[in-house]
Amino acid sequence: MSRRSWLRRTAAGFGALAFHDIAHSASNPLAERAAAFPARAKRVIFLFMSGGPSQPDLFDPKDYIARMHGKTISAPVNTNELRVGTDKFLALAAQSAVRPRGQSGMMISDLLPHTARIADEICLLRAMHADNNQHQPAALQFQTGVTAEARPSMGSWISYGLGTENQNLPGFITIHPDSDTRLYGSSFLPAAHQGTKVIIPGGEKDSPIDYLRDIGGDAKVQRARLDFTQRMNRRLLESVRTDARMEGMIESMEIAFRMQTATPELVDLSRETEVTKRLYGIGRPECDKNARACLLARRLSEAGVRFVQVTMGGWDHHGDIRNALPKSCAASDQPCAGLIQDLKSRGLLEDTLVVWSGEFGRTPWSQDLSGTSPIEKHGREHQPESFCTWMAGGGVKPGLTYGATDDFGFKPVSEKVHLHDLHATILHLVGLDHTKLTWRHMGRDFRLTDIFGEVVSKILA
Amino acid sequence: MLLASAAPADEGAAFFEAQVLPILKNRCYECHSHEGRIDGGLALDSREGWMDGGSIVPGSIGRSRFSQLLRIGDPAKQMPPKHRLPDLEIAMLETWIAMGAPDPRVSASAGKKKPVIDIEAGKKFWSYQPVCDQRPPEVKDASWPLTNVDRFILAKQEAAGLRPAGDADRFTWLRRVSLDLTGLPPTPEMIGQFVAGGADTSDSSYRYARVVDTLLNSSAFGERWARHWLDLTGYADQIGTSNNVFAEHAWRYRDYVINAFNNDKPFDQFIREQIAGDLLARHESNPARQAEMITATGFLVLGDVEIVAVDKLKMEYDLIDNQLGKIGTAFLGQTLGCVRCHDHKFDPIAMQDYYAMAGMFRSTSSTYKTDNGVWSSVNKIDLPETPGQKAARLRRLAENDASIHLREAERDEAAKSKAGFDKQLATASGDQKPSLEKQRDDLDKKIKALNGQIEHAKFFAPVAAKAFAVHDVEKPQDMRVTIRGNPYALGDEVRRGFMRVAMWDAPEVIPANESGRVQLANWIANRRNPLTARVTVNRIWQKLFGEGIVRSVDYFGTRGDPPTHPELLDYLASNFMRHGWSVKQLIRELVLSRTYRQCSTLHATGADPDNRLLTRTNRQRLDAEAIRDSMLAITGRLTTCGRGPALPLEYPENVTSLSPKAVNPPAFSFKKLRPIQDFERTIYLPVIRSAGQPGSAKLRDVFDFTQPALIAGRRPETAVPTQALFLLNSDQIRTRATELATLITQSTSGTSSRLDALWLRVLNRPITGAERDDAAKLLAELPAEKAWIELSHALLSSNEFLIRM
Repeated sequence: MSRRSWLRRTAAGFGALAFHDIAHSASNPLAERAAAFPARAKRVIFLFMSGGPSQPDLFDPKDYIARMHGKTISAPVNTNELRVGTDKFLALAAQSAVRPRGQSGMMISDLLPHTARIADEICLLRAMHADNNQHQPAALQFQTGVTAEARPSMGSWISYGLGTENQNLPGFITIHPDSDTRLYGSSFLPAAHQGTKVIIPGGEKDSPIDYLRDIGGDAKVQRARLDFTQRMNRRLLESVRTDARMEGMIESMEIAFRMQTATPELVDLSRETEVTKRLYGIGRPECDKNARACLLARRLSEAGVRFVQVTMGGWDHHGDIRNALPKSCAASDQPCAGLIQDLKSRGLLEDTLVVWSGEFGRTPWSQDLSGTSPIEKHGREHQPESFCTWMAGGGVKPGLTYGATDDFGFKPVSEKVHLHDLHATILHLVGLDHTKLTWRHMGRDFRLTDIFGEVVSKILA
Repeated sequence: MLLASAAPADEGAAFFEAQVLPILKNRCYECHSHEGRIDGGLALDSREGWMDGGSIVPGSIGRSRFSQLLRIGDPAKQMPPKHRLPDLEIAMLETWIAMGAPDPRVSASAGKKKPVIDIEAGKKFWSYQPVCDQRPPEVKDASWPLTNVDRFILAKQEAAGLRPAGDADRFTWLRRVSLDLTGLPPTPEMIGQFVAGGADTSDSSYRYARVVDTLLNSSAFGERWARHWLDLTGYADQIGTSNNVFAEHAWRYRDYVINAFNNDKPFDQFIREQIAGDLLARHESNPARQAEMITATGFLVLGDVEIVAVDKLKMEYDLIDNQLGKIGTAFLGQTLGCVRCHDHKFDPIAMQDYYAMAGMFRSTSSTYKTDNGVWSSVNKIDLPETPGQKAARLRRLAENDASIHLREAERDEAAKSKAGFDKQLATASGDQKPSLEKQRDDLDKKIKALNGQIEHAKFFAPVAAKAFAVHDVEKPQDMRVTIRGNPYALGDEVRRGFMRVAMWDAPEVIPANESGRVQLANWIANRRNPLTARVTVNRIWQKLFGEGIVRSVDYFGTRGDPPTHPELLDYLASNFMRHGWSVKQLIRELVLSRTYRQCSTLHATGADPDNRLLTRTNRQRLDAEAIRDSMLAITGRLTTCGRGPALPLEYPENVTSLSPKAVNPPAFSFKKLRPIQDFERTIYLPVIRSAGQPGSAKLRDVFDFTQPALIAGRRPETAVPTQALFLLNSDQIRTRATELATLITQSTSGTSSRLDALWLRVLNRPITGAERDDAAKLLAELPAEKAWIELSHALLSSNEFLIRM
């Protein structure tokens, strides 16, 4: 039995159509659907660096900024915007060496030694840009395409567009998401496509998903109670003859019952080898949580989940970035790089698309909210005007550095990629045409890319 | 005209294409085109774009600011900002200006020739036609209808060769009407009264009417129907989409809506107050009425408003869009948001219509910049107080001041002692030190705690009641169209007015010093407006019958669903308006109909599978509020709420960042809810926008609560296993089951009477023989101490409890 089919079989107890809105399943919304055109990737893993990683430190340092360190610079900023703690525009040099790596010579900081080792596997977009410089609207735009409202999230669109490869699992799972439920909501798309939030249990008391633990504490009693309820439900159904919703509710009760045992099995990483665990950095205190999340992401991907998201926070360095950034790097570097290596060694990387990004980047000039601290203690402000995203696997050119910013590292000057373009490209890679993947709501056909977006064909392998 | 001034058109165009356009593209487009930004309102990618800004004066280099900026020689002011253009390029651009600035390009925003919206043709669509009073049709079976509504329904069924279903039994009808009107199941006493009294006869209708009147007059009615309205407002106890900024005054609007439904405020008045209450209040002398009307305008600002944007002009335009979108959906069933950037693609609404109304909101102040970083806040407006309210407030203020002084004294005392310990420590010997340090540290903790309490007490000092509300700006004015929604790229000015396709007469004149919201309100809440009453009665119909007469309840545009019973819709709309826009009267008529009394069982398979002709009652899953509230009512724990603030801001641990000049505004974190909040109706619990719902309100997230960022008159009714897991294992349902078991076993003795009581409370009907046997078996099988809890739990998670039949 292949590893993948084993995983699919063990996941089966998770429940057929586990998160499917069974009442409205005249046709199964999660049924696997053919891509619109040949897909380069069958599934996506999105590593979301919540808070905004500092690209001037990690990927896009500038000589001019290094030379001007601590001195005022005059960047072409939008004067309509308010500024807090950044009005002096003091250049802040990259805190560690950023060097050419691998065959391609991609520039990566010493702060990311593991990512540096996979430089030839990744495609670095250095002139990404988006539209909002505050966390929640920006994160919302990253996930849903718009900065406000509640539209379907990227994972929901992909689940809607492709269905799931594994009928026993949701099409979209999000590990350790931020608190805003809109970030993985399905909005007006059918509820079957909403992201299922999974927590990796840190201890006995934690539950990977809500309400999984038998509240009565006695499995036999629970089953007896459930049997009674289901007998009531079936008698009611017989009395009204036919009701799809009631049938759905009866079935979902059984699925929920099975999920109580199947879910912990699914998130159990103990069957992985020590070598694999070490590859991700499991057991190292600085990155254990993210390492487990990335390994689980691989398992879920392998089992056929279309879109897996792993959120890693802690990147919002408004102050003392010199001290804080290395910690955020250490917490995520090995897990992310380990994931790429693991996918590659299993032959999964070629049809799995991995995307690494924050909701925006950070300014090349410093921020000092106190107004009095020395430059060594400064941080950096949010910057949607330009930031860095990397992609790997499924159909992107490995080792490519794409895009450049101006002398400040503020505005893109060439090969710029708007967030809408990134969305269009991700959909393209999984075989979906972003202009045709629509859902009619209140009379209008909505898209992930709204009325924007162009596929970035130059980064396609 | 200008083009012809210096160069022949062809030659000029050729020069432009060859020499000028490449420079503009390379050097300027990034900040001055529709591809990038449109800084300073100057777009150089169309002739229209630069003509508008006025910085290029064709034929005159001297008067063209554009040319000055190229040559200014000051890096801070020059254009492009960083590098001066090469002299050759400047020369080319100036030659072009001198030629009369020929520019053959068509507008980038227009692209292709725009299709013109034909308003008069648009008026022919059914929803823009005047509401037409309809007479109930003749029916063959005159014995079935109880009301005029029934005649409309039956006539369509007869025409299709269908028959209505039989009546539901009285238990089912009572549960249905009780849940629909109040969100709560009937009590055993109500059931007893209603069911006793023999078979239905033609003169038994008073018994139904008495139940309906009781329900309509209970305060639970407003608590249910207000929530339906709040789904159309984006209401939350949090402002903005970002962080956890608390909306400490939002509850006043919530209570306003509850009162409006309970007092059966005429719906046209309800509309007027929400759009222009602040202006209407000027004609009122009663402070309580004034406060009510000002509070009503919370409708305009309590939605998904962005308040952290760094570009304040853009933020203001986004808010206007939000307000118009909400007015369009909630009152008119129109998607106005589409028209911000272009004429509507399907409906007869032009940008001119949008900006005519947008001008009213540009002339209205909704937010102000706070002292926190880049943040704004929704306006907080002092409400008029009665002398009694003022006296009470001043009393509370004095108490608060006194308590602050006490704490300050206590803190200063502690600081003094701490200083003493510090002094002792300086000279203390090694073995004395640990004990001294501990005492000092304890004092330090105490000082910090007291400081926190003092800050909290100062921040929340009793001030005059405030509401989130709006007011007119000092100089109201018309607004200019934006090019693709960009507030820096402006087109023609549009005179304030209304959506022309739904107008019947010349617009009401807007006084020079007013925003025009009063006139907007009068146009919407008008008996001649073709949309307002139809949209409103259709929503009420949908809540009671499961589907709207127009199924797309929020959208009456050309791509929406056509009405299944157009005559009935107009009959209801005109009756509604004739009877003073009374919501209660409309609901009363609908629930006393024979149509509403039908059972829900399908009797003829195959025909009308979607039940468009209403040959049976549509079953509905209870919404989140009804599930939680019903469980509380059944177990006897539901507490009548004293109204007031939803957020427990009185607990210092719940609020952070109270310093008025901090980078971020004060924020809320849910450490602690008031104990009573577990037992209040769900509408009174905090609504959170950016995270999961707090405490027992979490049930909302599981059962299809409308995201407060959405404006939606209808909730989905999904059946996902997450709900089943909640029913299996949540502590909320377990707690209610335990309470219910205690109630039943303590109030009743003997298994048989206990089962009777349990079924009557949870399912609102007598237990059947088969169920009695089954339940007895389960009870015998389970450990005695758990048996009644498990049985209660089983019923509370059953489909019959969760579905209103």
